[in-house]
Amino acid sequence: MAAFHLEMKVNGELVAVDIDPGMRLLDVLREVLHLTGTKEGCGEGECGACSVILDGELVDSCLVMAPQAYGKEVVTIEGVAALGQLHPLQEAFIEAGAVQCGFCTPGMILAAKVLLDHNPNPDRQEIARAISGNLCRCTGYSKIIKAVEIAASRIKAEAGAASD
Amino acid sequence: MKKRGFGIGCMSYGIGNTGLPNPAGAFVDFLDDGTVIVLTGCADIGQGSSTILAQIAAETLGVAFEDVVVVAGDTGVTPDAGATSASRQTYISGNAVFEAARKARQEVIAGAAAVLGVPPEEINLKNGRVWHGEEPTSLSIKEVISKCRSEGILTLGHGWFNPATTRLDPATGQGIPYATYAFATQVAEVEVDTETGIVEVKRIVAAHDVGRAINPQNVEGQIESGCSMGIGYALLEEVVVKEGEIQNPAFSTYLMPTAMDVPEVYPIIVEELEPTGPYGAKGVGEPALVPTAAAITNAVADALGLRFYDLPLTPERVVAEIKKSREKKEDDGQ
Amino acid sequence: MIEKNIVGQSVPKVDAFGKVTGQTRYAADLDIAGALHLKVLRSKVAHGLVKKIDTSRALKIPGVTAVFTHADIPGSNSYGIIVKDQPVLTNKVRFKGDAIALVAAEEESIAVKALDAIAVEIEELPPLFDIQAAMAAGAPAIHDNGNVLTVTKIKRGNVEAALDQAAAVVSRRYTTQRVEHGYIETEAGIAYMENDMLIIKAGTQNPHYDRRDAARVLGLPINKVRVIQTATGGGFGGKLDISVQCFLGLAALKLGRPVKIVYDRQESFVATAKRHPFIVDYTSVAAADGRLLAVKARIFGDTGAYASYGPATLTRAAVHATGPYEVPNVDLEAFCVYTNNSFSGAMRGFGTPQIAFVFESQMDLLARELKMSPLEIRRRNVLRPGSITATGQELTSSVGIAKTLEAAWARALEVMPGLGGDCR
Repeated sequence: MAAFHLEMKVNGELVAVDIDPGMRLLDVLREVLHLTGTKEGCGEGECGACSVILDGELVDSCLVMAPQAYGKEVVTIEGVAALGQLHPLQEAFIEAGAVQCGFCTPGMILAAKVLLDHNPNPDRQEIARAISGNLCRCTGYSKIIKAVEIAASRIKAEAGAASD
Repeated sequence: MKKRGFGIGCMSYGIGNTGLPNPAGAFVDFLDDGTVIVLTGCADIGQGSSTILAQIAAETLGVAFEDVVVVAGDTGVTPDAGATSASRQTYISGNAVFEAARKARQEVIAGAAAVLGVPPEEINLKNGRVWHGEEPTSLSIKEVISKCRSEGILTLGHGWFNPATTRLDPATGQGIPYATYAFATQVAEVEVDTETGIVEVKRIVAAHDVGRAINPQNVEGQIESGCSMGIGYALLEEVVVKEGEIQNPAFSTYLMPTAMDVPEVYPIIVEELEPTGPYGAKGVGEPALVPTAAAITNAVADALGLRFYDLPLTPERVVAEIKKSREKKEDDGQ
Repeated sequence: MIEKNIVGQSVPKVDAFGKVTGQTRYAADLDIAGALHLKVLRSKVAHGLVKKIDTSRALKIPGVTAVFTHADIPGSNSYGIIVKDQPVLTNKVRFKGDAIALVAAEEESIAVKALDAIAVEIEELPPLFDIQAAMAAGAPAIHDNGNVLTVTKIKRGNVEAALDQAAAVVSRRYTTQRVEHGYIETEAGIAYMENDMLIIKAGTQNPHYDRRDAARVLGLPINKVRVIQTATGGGFGGKLDISVQCFLGLAALKLGRPVKIVYDRQESFVATAKRHPFIVDYTSVAAADGRLLAVKARIFGDTGAYASYGPATLTRAAVHATGPYEVPNVDLEAFCVYTNNSFSGAMRGFGTPQIAFVFESQMDLLARELKMSPLEIRRRNVLRPGSITATGQELTSSVGIAKTLEAAWARALEVMPGLGGDCR
């Protein structure tokens, strides 16, 4: 099969790779770019462990064929912390005890990030809905929801401080 | 129509393997700079055992939590700690680490006693320093360890623990299956839609006697986790097998609770200290789940005045039972 | 006196940083240069004898390095935490999913292709899909010693005599379903040789057990096998059994090359343990004041094709069958039964979530019969210091059930409007 020349932006950097066009975005991230923070849990878009942000929207990277990402911007968990500084969501996940086995954590944080990018002030129900495509078997979700609430309030406080 | 109901689920749970030896070992190395390495076979699978064991070591050795590194689950370097199962690791590996740390601590205390010229039993280690009675001395733990090393004394310890059980008599089952038990009561509130059969769990109060909660947030995390898994067990989950073949081997067909399915959970930690536990701790991993389905099914029975004898309480099953009971009432001329 | 300043504090987890940043490497994230990919050929037949395995076509596929069968196991071809009854690669299939052959290939896709090219002849035996059929006289034996693997008996006092004093007797049959652990990380691992030392890295709940059975199967001294637990994406009992460990060890040892295996979700469902489905016949006997006089129970657990943690699950269910209550007379029997279903093993609670559903349903039924509230009947029966359990153990300390009952109820009254009154 002829190789597909894939160009996309991953975590802010331009990436150009020749790949088998049958590859999923998940495979390119994990196997070609070695960004293994993105996990495979079910391979059918049910668990959200492979969630990434594609042009600002949350997608299951196991359901996106790699060529579909051409010219787009991908954010994975490796791109969430800026210059060694943890994102408020990452800090809040640690602090609130929202991490147990951690396998769902990257996808969960990205789902929460997309929510907060669109809605800085979500209520409990909105948070639950936003992460409902991401399965967690360990935490019972309570502390994840709590972490998103903590992060939302911090981001708001920071934004408030910046605009003052 | 939506009907509300409340149900109680209680349980006891024996910590460790049933009526069998199930020991765990650990090594603790107290290093020159006052930091600590704990070697344990205990597999942390996300429940947080490495964190709990670090807390026990730090507490026992009088150093900061951050100064402890736990190396876990590598048979090349760590001693056998048995399985991460039976809610046993906090109690059993916790005791093993406590014992190993206690031995390392004794070496440091002996060294400190010699320097200070006071009896070892008057010495304590806290916050990285040597204390004499209730007063900190000018001596740091680090200095004592350096001194020990210069004299050829290593400040390390090994420990192991096996809970006191007896084998159960094969004919009567009499014996001591467990050295200690965790206990719990959960109360569930549900709302049942009598048309669709959908059971919504509104709230769960979950009170768990875990002995000492080494890390209360972790304990809460286990309780919330168990409630979620218990909701799945009570209402959603079933591996369907036909002629020996699993019909739903996928997350699209085997449904587990999502964030939309779990209610507000109110964890309550009851600390009925266990004298043989590390700092009084028992366990919580499995107890968190055990009474949940019981509480939910009792709540559904309360809501509908109908009892279910088969899990899970899927909407189809709930609707069928409601229909059956209506027909029965009609047949009875009611 | 040591000041308790770290124990009792909610310090953040030691491994949380790596997990929120995506740096933590789980087994499937491990890359090893030159690794061969492994795939397992699994039975589509539930019960039968493997008569012939023809691997010649598979071996001709370019990129296929080796195909292993039961004939290639260097040590004892059996493992199991309690009973060594499960072959790594079998010559008798006992469930749809039993492992028959292991392929090692340069690419995962080639290994998958090779699976289709292996020809297996199986002489089918009558399959047994439920406990009743498996326990019936004359049922074909799934294992040499018959289909009832273990019977646990707990007997104390005199249940028949207690019936004479009974104000309420409730007898019911309950069933519970088979459940999947549902950890989000499927089974995976890598293995390689380091001089004469076999290194296996995998997600697991019990690396030292893995080492023991890997050494047994491979015919190696225990100290020549090193099992390293990788960050493990949940377990809940499902990663207590051997899954990928022996496959990895076998291929790495035989081929002297690094190998890797990752189960997809379907294989994880099919090839690993489930929660035991139970059938329980349960009789509760109580006096007019609500005190439990006796419990009689017969508990049947379908452990499927292999023992796994079945005996422990059924024994624990029997030991816990009276719940957190003091019951002076008990007659409890628990049967762990082989069938040709996929095997059941440990899952969070080992039979106690099943039996709790039963004994707590019974408590409410008794309460209704005695016109007592569910709360009150529990208050009158919970274990206290000095209580004797069903196995005759006197509880001396740390018996907090009464405290949890009162604490949960008090909180429930606060947060659950509508709760309260006599019957609740």
